[in-house]
Amino acid sequence: MHGLPRRVASAILVGLIALSVLFPLAWMAIAGFKGRNEAVRSVFQFFPDVWRFENYAAILSDGPFLKALLVTFLGALVFTAASLTVNTFAAYAFARLDFRGKRFWWLFCITTMFIPGMAVLLTSFLVVAQLGMLNTFAVLVIPGAASAAQMFFFRQFYLGFPMAIEDAALLDGATRWQILLRVFLPQSYAPLVVMGLASYLAYWNAYVWPILTISDPNLVQIMQLLGNFRSERGTDWALLMAGSTIAALPTVLLLLIFQRFIVNGVRIAGLK
Amino acid sequence: MPLAQQQVLEAAVIARGRKRKRKLREDVPKHLRANRTGYLLIAPMVIILAVFVIWPLLNSFYMSAFEISFYKEPKFVGLQFYLYVLTSAEFWKSIGVGLYYAVLVVPTGMLLALFIATFIKSLSKRAASFLKVTVYLPAVVSSVIASQLFIFIYQDHGVANWLLSLINSGPINWLNDPTTALPSVALPGIWLGFGITTLIMLAGLLDIPDSYYESAQLDGAGYFQRMFYITIPLLKNVLLYLLVTGFTLAIQMLDLPLLMTGGGPLGSTTTPNLYIFNAFRDRTPYATSYSLTASLLLFVVIGAVSLLLFRLIRSDKAVDA
Repeated sequence: MHGLPRRVASAILVGLIALSVLFPLAWMAIAGFKGRNEAVRSVFQFFPDVWRFENYAAILSDGPFLKALLVTFLGALVFTAASLTVNTFAAYAFARLDFRGKRFWWLFCITTMFIPGMAVLLTSFLVVAQLGMLNTFAVLVIPGAASAAQMFFFRQFYLGFPMAIEDAALLDGATRWQILLRVFLPQSYAPLVVMGLASYLAYWNAYVWPILTISDPNLVQIMQLLGNFRSERGTDWALLMAGSTIAALPTVLLLLIFQRFIVNGVRIAGLK
Repeated sequence: MPLAQQQVLEAAVIARGRKRKRKLREDVPKHLRANRTGYLLIAPMVIILAVFVIWPLLNSFYMSAFEISFYKEPKFVGLQFYLYVLTSAEFWKSIGVGLYYAVLVVPTGMLLALFIATFIKSLSKRAASFLKVTVYLPAVVSSVIASQLFIFIYQDHGVANWLLSLINSGPINWLNDPTTALPSVALPGIWLGFGITTLIMLAGLLDIPDSYYESAQLDGAGYFQRMFYITIPLLKNVLLYLLVTGFTLAIQMLDLPLLMTGGGPLGSTTTPNLYIFNAFRDRTPYATSYSLTASLLLFVVIGAVSLLLFRLIRSDKAVDA
């Protein structure tokens, strides 16, 4: 196959792949436009009889839902800022400074990457319970903020900078904090976006940690609310799908806005 | 963090780690020694990891050797809990479910990814970037939303049964039948994860020199010949990496069965982590020690199976490019 037929076949295949990947999401959004019993009635119908906006309107005027959206959004912002700060600071120290015990602390941090999540999940729950952190904002933000994998990523990035940067800046009388904040951070726009998005998504999509640690209705997270939706409000599929669509929208939008960074962020040179 | 993101990070980490043999001390000139600044900079990281990861882990080992209840002083019982877990039929059943889940998700996801990645490589730049974003899209959707969505799809009058009715079969009670429940849970698992696998494979594919394919094509090699004689051997390390990380992520799956079936029917979707999680939340005596012990033992099982996978595949010599 050459030329035109080949191009047409490719285009059809692109369409088919995109259709089957996106179908579940489209189905979710469409179901949100259906009536209460229309979504699962026995005569199957793809599109709604009438496009209704009631479910979306109901979700967008639902107090607990909006509150969870807002609380989760604010939490995600704080969490992203906290994790970027913690991880870049440590990464800078490990990449560009020398201090006593560096090798020990390095191994100390890196080891945590290989510890199974479940063993840590259960006991860190016991720890935060003992510390009286249950049902606080801190329990959502602090324990997950330090990520050895992210720190490693930034460290590799900083190792690539020429040492002359420090030499020149120190000669000019800059402190190391100034070097980090004025030279390194502004230069690391791309990795900050990639890792920042990873943190944002991790927080926004978290489910198990919030259901363990949060029961205060003022702090309920959006995924926690959606996860309990059917047991708390009965089965209204159209409404639940409308809510799910709205809760998925921020992450999808972020992907579309920053697609260039994320899709090209996957680099594996040297793995082979 | 979501499993997918974790996987990318690990890919990056392992790739960089291999490339650069660590020489921490030599990397930094003497005059940059700065103890105080160094400690201040790493302090938040080290403290958080110590309090919420290292200490809990050590505590797990400690608690797994004690009977702990609210009324009595902890009593040292040695390895008794390990014995309980290892002789529990439910624990081994959950390991079996976890392995089955991994078998359903990982090879399927990798085949899909290999197919789509080779296809994306053949496309024009614009079509390629469209498809890359499209296949990545499910990876940003949360497992909670995916579970609700797929439960909806699996309803009696849902779209899955409608598709079956088109070929005059069904309807199937997807999530309530022990034989179909786990595959039904695996489907959203594949959907959420294959995009990231595709991107990692694509990155590996782009490292294979075009000249290999050109000369193969001159010699008249078809799609499958190029796939089996060029792509797969040269991608071997990437594939192996994806297989092992994919496997360790899949066997630790918790969210989907927790949300979609709660582990039922008849325990057919109780993955190891769900078993441990349910045991932990159970209000039976010594639930804490028992579940912690099980989580430590699960780690041993995962390590053993990963090692086995490595051995099996490494045994027939890898082709080095």
